[in-house]
Amino acid sequence: MALTRNPSFTNPDPCSHLAEYRQTHGLKGYSSLQAHLRTAPTGRTAIGKLPSLIRRCAFCSLRRGRFYLCLICSTVSCSDHAAAHAGSNPGHDIAVDVDRAELFCCRCADQVYDPDFDIAVMVKQIVKLPESRESSRCRKRRANPVNFKDGVLTEAGLGAGRAALLHTPPLKDHFLSDRHGREFCCRGRRRTRRWGMVSGELPCLACDVAGVFSEVFSGARRPYSPAQFLYSWWQHSSDLAGYEQQDAHEFFISMLDRIHEKEQPDLQNRGAGDCHCIAHRVFSGVLRSDVTCSVCGFTSTTYDPCVDLSLDLEPCNGIKSNDNSRISTLMGCLDLFTRPEKLGSDQKLYCQHCEVRQDSVKQMSIRKLPYVLCFHVKRFEHSLIRRTSKKIDQNLQFPFSLDMMPYLSSSIIRNRFGNRIFAFQGDESDMSSEFSSEFEVFAVITHSGRLESGHYVTYLRLRDQWYRCDDAWITQVTEGVVRASQVYMMYYLQKHGK
Amino acid sequence: MSASNDGNSSPRSQLASRCFEDLLDSIIVDVASECHRIARLGLDRNLEEEEEELRLSVQARVADPSSSTEANSKNVVDIFGLTHPAIADEIFECMNCGRPIVAGRFAPHLEKCMGKGRKARKVTRSSTIARTRHSRGSPVSVYAPYSNATNSNRAPNGTTGGSGEEYADYPYGVP
Repeated sequence: MALTRNPSFTNPDPCSHLAEYRQTHGLKGYSSLQAHLRTAPTGRTAIGKLPSLIRRCAFCSLRRGRFYLCLICSTVSCSDHAAAHAGSNPGHDIAVDVDRAELFCCRCADQVYDPDFDIAVMVKQIVKLPESRESSRCRKRRANPVNFKDGVLTEAGLGAGRAALLHTPPLKDHFLSDRHGREFCCRGRRRTRRWGMVSGELPCLACDVAGVFSEVFSGARRPYSPAQFLYSWWQHSSDLAGYEQQDAHEFFISMLDRIHEKEQPDLQNRGAGDCHCIAHRVFSGVLRSDVTCSVCGFTSTTYDPCVDLSLDLEPCNGIKSNDNSRISTLMGCLDLFTRPEKLGSDQKLYCQHCEVRQDSVKQMSIRKLPYVLCFHVKRFEHSLIRRTSKKIDQNLQFPFSLDMMPYLSSSIIRNRFGNRIFAFQGDESDMSSEFSSEFEVFAVITHSGRLESGHYVTYLRLRDQWYRCDDAWITQVTEGVVRASQVYMMYYLQKHGK
Repeated sequence: MSASNDGNSSPRSQLASRCFEDLLDSIIVDVASECHRIARLGLDRNLEEEEEELRLSVQARVADPSSSTEANSKNVVDIFGLTHPAIADEIFECMNCGRPIVAGRFAPHLEKCMGKGRKARKVTRSSTIARTRHSRGSPVSVYAPYSNATNSNRAPNGTTGGSGEEYADYPYGVP
């Protein structure tokens, strides 16, 4: 078992029988088999219907169980008699599992691996499956309606979100090293008026953000009330209803939006992946969405930028128990997020290959990880029938150390095609050297209470000590308290990043 | 799963059981084959680390089942050696009207003062949306505080951070 996790495969050594087979027969067996491989639209490869392939064991004549096709003489044996075939025919050690197109050594009675075989399988798949097309345009998407919307909560939502943003290292560095250039910010100059607005000229929110950073990190111990900031922000966000409705997640998204607007006002860029404003450099990642036709296997791929991941809570019965299987976990939610999802028959999508609407399967994966990963847990449940909404109080376990490797597009796509030893085009670009897939949590926003009246608390980690930020109260807490809290948003920072 | 043990094992139920067992075996071998490959090729997840995290979380939850720290924290002295009153008492001058307001009451005052609150607002929802559409320049990330919660099944896993339609055709769905 490999001790380190790496994106590339570990090439296992062949058993002596496989080595001998290769030496004697080379690639002949694989090539002749290639013609008979069939790939299902799901990506799974099996041996298709051969005229001579009768699914019946040559030894016992039963039609039950797994069948193995000898690579040399094409004899079919069942799992009970594969060894017998190898025994009575010296050299006939290597067979192929008919259902999975996997090499099987009858003498070792074990599955074995050969990169050349995998390449043969993959080449066949690539040729056979309708060519998938990728489009990198930014798709218009319905905004995800999963915040604490109506009636939420309090201005504390602002506070909690702000606490997390203030301690996001790259953001802090950017604003404290005056990259925003408050002195020169033209908008800032007009803010000498105390009240009322210069017509049309909004105060610069980024200046106020920088102001907040300065105050907070000034070393002063008294609590800071960001009155100016609130005023600025509400000036900008005329669409927000006001005091009653500040959800922490909305605040986060809105803040990033404002920072982006300020820094890239004329940019017409279509992809946030290209944007170099500080908000996007820190938080922006790219999601990949594959929609596969269930009939022909044609896959349509789209890339969308994102600044956070909103996750559905894993369904799990509400019984609190110490049994591990009952706990909802972040990785479980991520598994759910990247799981292939059958789209309902009322949502048939147009398949370009079949040229009709077909049932499809959709799968999400992460094409590019951001520097800081923000998770948002959808704790808001809206029942259309009853027209009520409620908060889901289920606890979510989250790791302090998170490896996002299994959720990257490279891993997901590779898994879809049977994890064959094969370099996928685009694999290398997924894992560019400056980004690792390992993350460490540094801030957590929790919400307690109900939808209409709740309270946010932020936990921050600074130099291995956790602090609880509850409005103006900052106290030290242990790790355990953070782990046990009911999280709403989590911020992870890349380990060993630049 | 063993064959039915109702004592009366008819050939039909035996056959059915065998059929079921075959199916089950097939599924098990499938999963085993897949996991075997993942393990051999070094693609598996670091289960030890994951289990360790899980164990720590369970431990923490057992030790602190109710967030009892919540109740206490407001009465203690914080890390700066300060205690704070329940309502922040610093006084600010409102930027809109100039009156002195206590910090703890600042947000509700500002809301009414700026005419933003639900009760204070005079404009209708749709005109606010129309105004916002024109004033917002950024196509990139958007948030929709009033988005209607009718999820399309198509994108339950989508994110709010993606580029998207602003406010689409959502009615102001508030009771």
